[in-house]
Amino acid sequence: MRRTSESRSRQILDLPLDVRTQEKAKADKAPCVEEGRLATYRPDGRNVQRFLALLSKRMNRRLALSMTGCVHCGLCADSCHYALVFPDDPQMTPVAKADRIRKIFKRHMDWTGRIAPWWVGAKRPSDDADLNELKNVAFGLCSACRRCTFNCPMGVDTAGLIRFTRGLLTSLGIVPEGIFNVSRDQWDTGNQMGVSEADYLETLAWMRDEVRTELGTDAVDIPIDKDGCDFLYVINPREIKFDPRSIGQAVKIFHLAGESWTMPRWGWDNTNFGLFSGDDALGAFVADNVYEAAARLKAKRIVISECGHGFRSTRWEGYGWAGRDQDVPSESVVVSLERWLREGRLRVDPSRNALPVTFHDSCNIARSGGLTEEPRRVLQRVCSDFREMTPNRTENYCCTGGGGLLSMAEYRPIRLEAASIKARQLEATGAKLVCTMCHNCIDGLNDVIKHYNLDLKVVQVLELVDKALLV
Amino acid sequence: MPTLTVDGQPVDINEEGFLSVPECWNAAIAAALGRREEGLEVLTPDHWKVIDFIRGFYLETKMAPMVRKVCQASGFTLKRIYELFPSGPAKGACKLAGLPKPDGCV
Repeated sequence: MRRTSESRSRQILDLPLDVRTQEKAKADKAPCVEEGRLATYRPDGRNVQRFLALLSKRMNRRLALSMTGCVHCGLCADSCHYALVFPDDPQMTPVAKADRIRKIFKRHMDWTGRIAPWWVGAKRPSDDADLNELKNVAFGLCSACRRCTFNCPMGVDTAGLIRFTRGLLTSLGIVPEGIFNVSRDQWDTGNQMGVSEADYLETLAWMRDEVRTELGTDAVDIPIDKDGCDFLYVINPREIKFDPRSIGQAVKIFHLAGESWTMPRWGWDNTNFGLFSGDDALGAFVADNVYEAAARLKAKRIVISECGHGFRSTRWEGYGWAGRDQDVPSESVVVSLERWLREGRLRVDPSRNALPVTFHDSCNIARSGGLTEEPRRVLQRVCSDFREMTPNRTENYCCTGGGGLLSMAEYRPIRLEAASIKARQLEATGAKLVCTMCHNCIDGLNDVIKHYNLDLKVVQVLELVDKALLV
Repeated sequence: MPTLTVDGQPVDINEEGFLSVPECWNAAIAAALGRREEGLEVLTPDHWKVIDFIRGFYLETKMAPMVRKVCQASGFTLKRIYELFPSGPAKGACKLAGLPKPDGCV
């Protein structure tokens, strides 16, 4: 039994580095690759030495504390869905994953590891195969949900160490294809799906016309680049490219609430693969596009659509990456919805959402964003049968597709196995609808529902509010 | 790597059910993907209208079309697209049209 599950993590550790799309980006002369913003893998690139040099260069006090503070108590194992689902495989515990970077830190930077490496388990990576294995741990066996970080009695930020490791590997091009491709699109087009300005504007006009028809008034508008509005609305590119229903719902609600708002021509992508890849420079570029748009248009607030990592990046992390003061406040659209409902600016009938609904807290919104009560207050007003799942809020389990895992197909089988705990948690609620305020969680939860044959449908807060609206 | 069996021949798909080699696509593969991935027993002419447009767009541009373009070309509403392909345009229609997995949060 032990043997079987240990070999399960082994299968992931051995996954090779796929550089086909890196080669394509070079052949296409992608500007971000040509100009060195996005690294590609160099087989003869002295990668171990470069890795160690970057490790020293980027080390800071906060990371060093997490490198040295761990007492190997093992409590983190109880908080990680991988470790809970594979209890016989020590490689699945957060501490084992973090130890892979910790032992390199010890050998390279910590005096104990330099004097007595055998004593403290310090060891440098020997070659690129070791770095590839590290890639498979940092990207493939962790959804960066931060549940272990929250539950560490020593305050060790294991998820922070994972992101740091990801960043070092991204700088060497030792990175999963999915992360590379999206980083390329964000660098070169300003949005993660490579949507052109013309396509963006055309889809917005389409949604505006749909809402005009629905409400029977031409007063509905989506103002583009309008100066001095109360808020600037920024979205996840998948809303534009594949599923603009959420844009329609937002436009309708903003109109009924009588809001003065605008969307920017440039700087409209609230998502940020810099968070997933560990590349702070990409993080700064994408977040700053949004902040610049708000400043340029003199918007009083930035409102972020229902996206988990987009919320965390734009609301919290982005200011640090971009080295920027928070001159313009930012908030989730769910916070705005809660306010409009409370102020009576939207009238709703909860009986229109009669099916039992539960709420899934996105890791990046609840654990990493501190936003837990507003969505509940909204759901309690617009649904007649709201049920909590257990655990919830900052202790909720990840949808299991977080941390960029949705974009990395090679790690899908293991994440779906590790999702059995999520499936049981969802099933126990007896709900028919699971509501989440994150686009990533929609797909993560849909994967779990399909894989475990659950009788559940995923919805978002805007969708439920829209359905309950009394127009 | 998982495989799909079409007319007795194995076809490689990735872990998410997208074709590994988009070039090897044909109508029988689309039908098999429809059964396996979307639970669609038969692909109706309406399904084909969407699939054919997406396939043609992909061959020309090497990209998945915006759902706006899919609706314009097929004359279907967004709601109708979701009725035809329960997993939506990206994970449903594009997959059946033999496109590689679209990049990003999908």
